[in-house]
Amino acid sequence: MKRIAGQTALPPRAADAARRRLLQLGAGAPLALGASGAATPARASIRTNARIVIAGSGLGGIAVANRLSRMLDGARITIVDRKEEHNYQPGYTLVATGVWPVDKVRDRNAEFQPAGVTWVRDMVAAFDPAANAVVTAGGQRIDYDFLVVATGLHLDYAQIPGMDVAAIGSNGLASVYPGPQAAQATWAAMQSFAQKGGNAIMTLPATPLKCAGAPLKMTFMLRDRLRQAGTLDKSKVRFQSALGAVFGVKVVNDNVLARWKDLGVGVEFSRRLAAIDIGARRATFVSPEGEKEELPYDFIHVVPPMRAPDAVKNSELSWKEGPFAAGGWLEVDKATLQHRRFPNVFGIGDINGTPRGKTAATVKKSAPIVAANLVSVIAGGKPEVSFDGYTSCPLLTREGSAMLIEFDYDGKLTPSLPMIEPLQDSFFAWLLKVRMLKPAYLAVLKGRV
Amino acid sequence: MYEIWLASNIVWEMALTVWPLLLAAAVAWLLLMTAAVRRPGARLRRALPAALLCAAAGAFAAFVIVPGAVGSSLGELGYWVDVANLAAIAAGCGVAVGAFAWPLAAIFRARAA
Ligand SMILES: Cc1cc2nc3c(=O)[nH]c(=O)nc-3n(C[C@H](O)[C@H](O)[C@H](O)COP(=O)(O)OP(=O)(O)OC[C@H]3O[C@@H](n4cnc5c(N)ncnc54)[C@H](O)[C@@H]3O)c2cc1C
Repeated sequence: MKRIAGQTALPPRAADAARRRLLQLGAGAPLALGASGAATPARASIRTNARIVIAGSGLGGIAVANRLSRMLDGARITIVDRKEEHNYQPGYTLVATGVWPVDKVRDRNAEFQPAGVTWVRDMVAAFDPAANAVVTAGGQRIDYDFLVVATGLHLDYAQIPGMDVAAIGSNGLASVYPGPQAAQATWAAMQSFAQKGGNAIMTLPATPLKCAGAPLKMTFMLRDRLRQAGTLDKSKVRFQSALGAVFGVKVVNDNVLARWKDLGVGVEFSRRLAAIDIGARRATFVSPEGEKEELPYDFIHVVPPMRAPDAVKNSELSWKEGPFAAGGWLEVDKATLQHRRFPNVFGIGDINGTPRGKTAATVKKSAPIVAANLVSVIAGGKPEVSFDGYTSCPLLTREGSAMLIEFDYDGKLTPSLPMIEPLQDSFFAWLLKVRMLKPAYLAVLKGRV
Repeated sequence: MYEIWLASNIVWEMALTVWPLLLAAAVAWLLLMTAAVRRPGARLRRALPAALLCAAAGAFAAFVIVPGAVGSSLGELGYWVDVANLAAIAAGCGVAVGAFAWPLAAIFRARAA
């Protein structure tokens, strides 16, 4: 167990308030959470009247809410999020490549939230961790004793002049990220491009990404759709990476590049999408030295830069220095997922300023840890469970086959089962992606796995 | 241990999406078994070889059909883990086919006798 840097460095007012409340919470109640509590369901609940606010009701927020409502007896849990529809985001790549119908990624948040929580249908406009309060866009102030930040991330299309999310699906413009509609429109654009063939450009920004494998999956699948349509010989697929690589884990990166070489997918590095002219089908790329090049295209897949939502980025909760400061990511300890300066705050999911790991698979492994550590803190103790940064990405390589890549904070491959070969084209990995991972996701959401 | 828990949850969630079908199948199987047991002359034990044969045929059919049904193909079986998983799924399908074939075979044999 790591000690948490700055754990006691609360601003005095907040520290006193937090301490006072902790003393009122019946902190001595027994806790049935061992050091291995990450993977095991809690057996007994502790009595507390703590007020817990969860900002965001995506996968992370609901998974933690379900766990806390079972582990705590008497806690007053409030979820703040305006979004009513729940989207199974890992399914977007399947919708955008014609494997799934769009309704498979659409559910209702209300179906998954635990009974007894208060749902404030609004967005957090400001976090005030010094005063232990959040303020919603509608002006409602909600005080808390403990806060879980689960806001996900912001797709910053605004950083690409000329980009219009509403135009996805027309003029060869594709982007899988914004939501079910965009995924469906991306499939429409891909289909019409595959019929004729031509120049395709696939982009990758330099920021941390949610599901960093998605841009690669889109590239593999586009190439496969061209092959199936018989237009591959009339087409050119070029991947433009703003980084010096296409994937953050070296063995995977090297493997993908070798595959693309064989498949005829061209790759250029250090080229950031700087602007787009949708009507003229021209994209401008810029090098780190500021050199600009305009490329014509028939099909483009735009991956936006990503950062923390404004409410987090502009608050005291974000990293103020280091590699995560620019994106305004949540300043959590990467092992305990507890905030480094505000110990009554935890982070779950894409918002966390931790190395790698913006995936549903990360939430699967970290939601039990956040819940266990938060309960420890509520009980007057310290976070006891550590997260190793597990993340996973079933990388579609063509229709019918995928690679099941799992790794940790250090980029070390960590297959769940020893016999799985991460870099092997596999029917099983495909089956997992198209049939088994949504059921697994639902079990995570319900706080069971 | 965690992987077993996860796998059971996956199966549970999959079952939830088709529970009316599963319930109907379970009721139909119970009715068939009751009919087979009560039918004069029906011998469940004697029907076992025929049921096993049907189970094997069902498993074989599933092995061939399942990859295509999920948008893949037999040609995508890349290594032994793929084959083992597909074989396990096929075996499950075979057991289901055999379970229905068993009382049916007993009933038909009794009718033929
Ligand atoms: C195209 C694509 C493909 C993917 N593929 C995979 C994959 O194959 N495998 C995998 O494991 N993962 C994959 N993922 C990633 C995975 O879906 C996310 O990592 C996961 O959903 C993150 O959960 P979260 O709770 O952090 O964020 P989200 O699920 O995005 O939820 C965030 C919630 O916070 C709310 N919110 C935002 N701002 C505020 C605010 N100010 N106040 C209140 N609420 C707010 C939002 O409305 C939203 O409901 C993919 C994602 C995408 C987009």
